[in-house]
Amino acid sequence: MGIKIVKREGGSLKDRLYIPAIFGGMKTTLRHFITNISDTSKVKTFSYPEVQPSDITSRYRGIHRLTKREDGSIRCVACFMCATACPAECIFIEAKEREDGVDEKMPEIFTIDVLECVFCGGCVEACPCDAIRMDTGIFSFVALKREDFVLTKERLLSHEAKKETL
Amino acid sequence: MNAILVSVVVVNCVLALLFSLGAAPILVWIERRVAGLIQDRLGPNRCHIKGFRLGGLIQSFADMLKLVFKEDFQAKSIKQSFFFSLAPVIVFASAFLTFMVMPFADHLVIGEQTFRMQGLPIDLGILWFLAFAGLSVYGIMIGGWASNNKYSLLGSMRSAAQVISYEAAMGLSLVSILITYGSIDLVSIVNFQGNTVFGILPSWGIVLQPLAGLIFIVTAFAEANRTPFDIAEGESEIVGGFHTEYSAMRFGLFFVGEYVAMSASSALIVTLFLGGYHLPYFNTQILHQHMNLFLMAVMVFVPLMSLFFARWIRRNNRFSAQVDIRNRESKVLLKVLAGVNVLIVVGLALFLIMGLGETGVHIATAVIQVATFAVKLLLMNFVFVWVRWTLPRFRYDQLQDLGWKVLMPLAIMNIFITATVVVVFGV
Repeated sequence: MGIKIVKREGGSLKDRLYIPAIFGGMKTTLRHFITNISDTSKVKTFSYPEVQPSDITSRYRGIHRLTKREDGSIRCVACFMCATACPAECIFIEAKEREDGVDEKMPEIFTIDVLECVFCGGCVEACPCDAIRMDTGIFSFVALKREDFVLTKERLLSHEAKKETL
Repeated sequence: MNAILVSVVVVNCVLALLFSLGAAPILVWIERRVAGLIQDRLGPNRCHIKGFRLGGLIQSFADMLKLVFKEDFQAKSIKQSFFFSLAPVIVFASAFLTFMVMPFADHLVIGEQTFRMQGLPIDLGILWFLAFAGLSVYGIMIGGWASNNKYSLLGSMRSAAQVISYEAAMGLSLVSILITYGSIDLVSIVNFQGNTVFGILPSWGIVLQPLAGLIFIVTAFAEANRTPFDIAEGESEIVGGFHTEYSAMRFGLFFVGEYVAMSASSALIVTLFLGGYHLPYFNTQILHQHMNLFLMAVMVFVPLMSLFFARWIRRNNRFSAQVDIRNRESKVLLKVLAGVNVLIVVGLALFLIMGLGETGVHIATAVIQVATFAVKLLLMNFVFVWVRWTLPRFRYDQLQDLGWKVLMPLAIMNIFITATVVVVFGV
């Protein structure tokens, strides 16, 4: 094994004076300041509530939605796969018999407690009939009461997939 | 007691208050906005009164109100209640009193009376500054000790050690500058800087004594507890340092005191090294002689600057939403700007036509010098803020090394060189 001698930096007079380095740093910050103040549209951030983020794709895991069949009825067959897969145990399903002949079972109650949910996407992976998805693109969900965060079946069905804007 | 004396004294007191206490919310605003813009973000720009944001300045007043109305909490473990309350008062009062001797303009002569344009008209300038700048650390020490908290005590001990090391270098750098000026009266120091050296450069302190200027500026940063020397707070190491246990307005006094101290340090730097209230090449006598020319220049310069500012407002101060209440502000601001410009131009034109008279010329000179001082003070404060958001905090041992092993020997060497030059060449 050969020994590699690494030259230590910072020993020269210029480095030990500090002053050139300080002025170099101050030049950088001043450049940022001048660019940004002369044209505030060059600032990298955006004013959030007025300007919404544009980089949220359909693969983004947002708030859940329940998908529908071609005839508009619920696709879920209340198999409890998602509730079993859920690590946060935030999905509550009550099954009932489906009487329109399309399938045998459907959920009577299907609620997701968004406050408990960890947005892992496990339910989407587990679902055998593609009945639950997280492609709504809703990244900000606010409510006034805790109860409002428990999404009912109707609410989940009303969510639509995010339209591709790109 | 006559009316002129009273009015000049009142004007001086108001100016001193404006530059120190009134500057605190503005400095907080500058600090936050400049920090934001340096880091490629905007900083506080939401808070508004009926759409008027003044670029985010309203946020500072909202924060002040919040500090006043918050609960003044005091932990049960604090036994020295009196000293606990006394500490922020000492810090604030000493920072505030430091500012009182800064001259805003040259001696104002009205009729047969001569006035010193200082908040406190005494000629002890620098001694007063050193006395009160050194006193503010007592507030920090008492606060840290009375808090009965190990982090607070650590912070105040660090601060005390820092001030002791840097006060020495500061005093020594001041000695060499005092040898150059031959006076401790700030007004005569500034008047000395009104001349030129070799006929080209203004004889500012920074030109005559660059080394003393550099040492003084560095130690002034340490004295004001600003980054890179803010180890007294060191939030990454010792929570909040000396003000960990403080809340509400008691914390507010520390907070405002820091900014007033920063403003006072900038004022002394401007006064000692950057020509004080003098415009470069225009000392008081030249201003007296060429007042009419100068007023004409102001008449051209102010509308031009306003035009530039108006363009900036129109380009940058707008919001995408059509019904945004904040879009009203730009229109009103532009109208106000136009109105102020018309007032200034018409007023100056009237003065030029009617002629100012001797007293008028003296007062106009004072006004121009106060404005110059204000602009210089603002720029120096900007440098303080700019440095804070550029440089990281010093490690404690590096800080002591810099103070004792670098700044102090340099300051002593500077004294010897200055003294030799003064004795040999007799300047």
